[in-house]
Amino acid sequence: MLKRRIIPCLDIRDGRVVKGVHFGGLRDAGDPVAAARLYDEHGADEICLLDITATAEGRATFVDVVRHVADQIFCPLTVGGGVRRESDVARLLDAGADKVAINSGAVINPNLVEKVAARYGSQCIVVAVDVRRLPPRTAPEAAPAAPDAPVPAGFEDDDDPVYEVVIQGGTRSTGLDAVAWCKTAAQLGAGELLLTSMDRDGTKRGYDLPITRTISRAVPIPVIASGGVGSLEHLYEGLAPGGGEADAALAASIFHFGLYTIPEAKRYLAQRGIPVRPFGP
Amino acid sequence: MPRQVVLLDAGLGNLGSVERALSQVGAAVVRTSDPDTVAAARIVVFPGQGAFGEQTDAIVSGPLGSAIRAFIDKGGSFLGICLGMQLLFEGSDEAGGRPGLGLLQGRARRFPNDMVEPPPPGTDLPGRRLKIPHMGWNDVSPDGEHYYFVHSYYVDGADPEHVTWTCTYGDVTFPATVVRGNVVGCQFHPEKSQRAGLRFLRAFLLGGWK
Repeated sequence: MLKRRIIPCLDIRDGRVVKGVHFGGLRDAGDPVAAARLYDEHGADEICLLDITATAEGRATFVDVVRHVADQIFCPLTVGGGVRRESDVARLLDAGADKVAINSGAVINPNLVEKVAARYGSQCIVVAVDVRRLPPRTAPEAAPAAPDAPVPAGFEDDDDPVYEVVIQGGTRSTGLDAVAWCKTAAQLGAGELLLTSMDRDGTKRGYDLPITRTISRAVPIPVIASGGVGSLEHLYEGLAPGGGEADAALAASIFHFGLYTIPEAKRYLAQRGIPVRPFGP
Repeated sequence: MPRQVVLLDAGLGNLGSVERALSQVGAAVVRTSDPDTVAAARIVVFPGQGAFGEQTDAIVSGPLGSAIRAFIDKGGSFLGICLGMQLLFEGSDEAGGRPGLGLLQGRARRFPNDMVEPPPPGTDLPGRRLKIPHMGWNDVSPDGEHYYFVHSYYVDGADPEHVTWTCTYGDVTFPATVVRGNVVGCQFHPEKSQRAGLRFLRAFLLGGWK
């Protein structure tokens, strides 16, 4: 049967692996090529590189990192960050990426997803979606004191938590409902979704399970859970029936800082009944 | 002594990783899109990603298609990967129905949309919808190893004599590898399948598939 995937993710800034909390407060976690190579040797099911620089020099450095990493590994490589134009997709695929993740660029210009999916195939287009949970609208005590974004129309239902899509590293609200946008992204031709909870990113409190599960059930394409993993239990929750029900679990710091290895994660998940590809010689 | 492998660049996706994987297992790789180079080769690898469409029509009915047929007829070792394997068959339902090279019996069909994996026993959870594309690592039988797959179409109606390994996704069991004489096809991506994939490519190069 098809196995759930474990995907170590490397956030890259100026050619180095960094890891932040809530998309900020970065600390250095090492050389990306060495890290990617180790993960590949350890049986990572896929490797993800995200460019979190915003400068032209940073972008150029990132393409070099992609090229060097692609040169060293024999598993799928997903890359993203700052992809706005078709030429960005072309450059990253050319550098050796198997899949390119488009985040803000897809929200700003949904036509980009359609175009690149038609040109390169859905299998190499991932739409990355950053979401944040909105406070319940009718609970006054829970209402934000100074909301920087009003609750958009159609978000009145307080029985279920409502999530909106944020872009540009979580700095901008879009007013887009997370579930609706994910469905649209699939229709536009995304081959996969990378769903990150901004509330959980870097917190080590685990994935945001309700939204992960809701979206996993709502779309016909695979979903990668992301944001918040601090333990192996969290990986389990993200993939488990009744948990996140995701097709793949992405994590960064638990692997980078040596807390756990990929083989340890897989053994743990297998013991908990999650179908994973065993690691072995 | 390194074996020279002609890597056929027909514009069906990125060849870098296939080239690296072949080099890793000792091949001397020559990339080409020239039909004469294909016809003159001893070993040809034909990777493909994406979909049947106008581009594959042009290959099938053009000089590259003729060169592939001639190469196979003269007994050269041929490996088709993913779309490159599907193109060996009669055609695909994709894009309104498209022809293949017709070297093997069978046709590419889309996975059904409504496949469901039953929930764990003793729970009241809904069954899990199986996603398309079939993307990720799946085990093949009887080999038992896991390989990396990415595809929405699978080969249906192949001659069982040609099917060496199978893979199962939902209700569908489909050919993971096919072999007919000197012609080998794999639905998975050996270049993305770590050690198992490199082993597969090495076996192909050494002629372990004949």
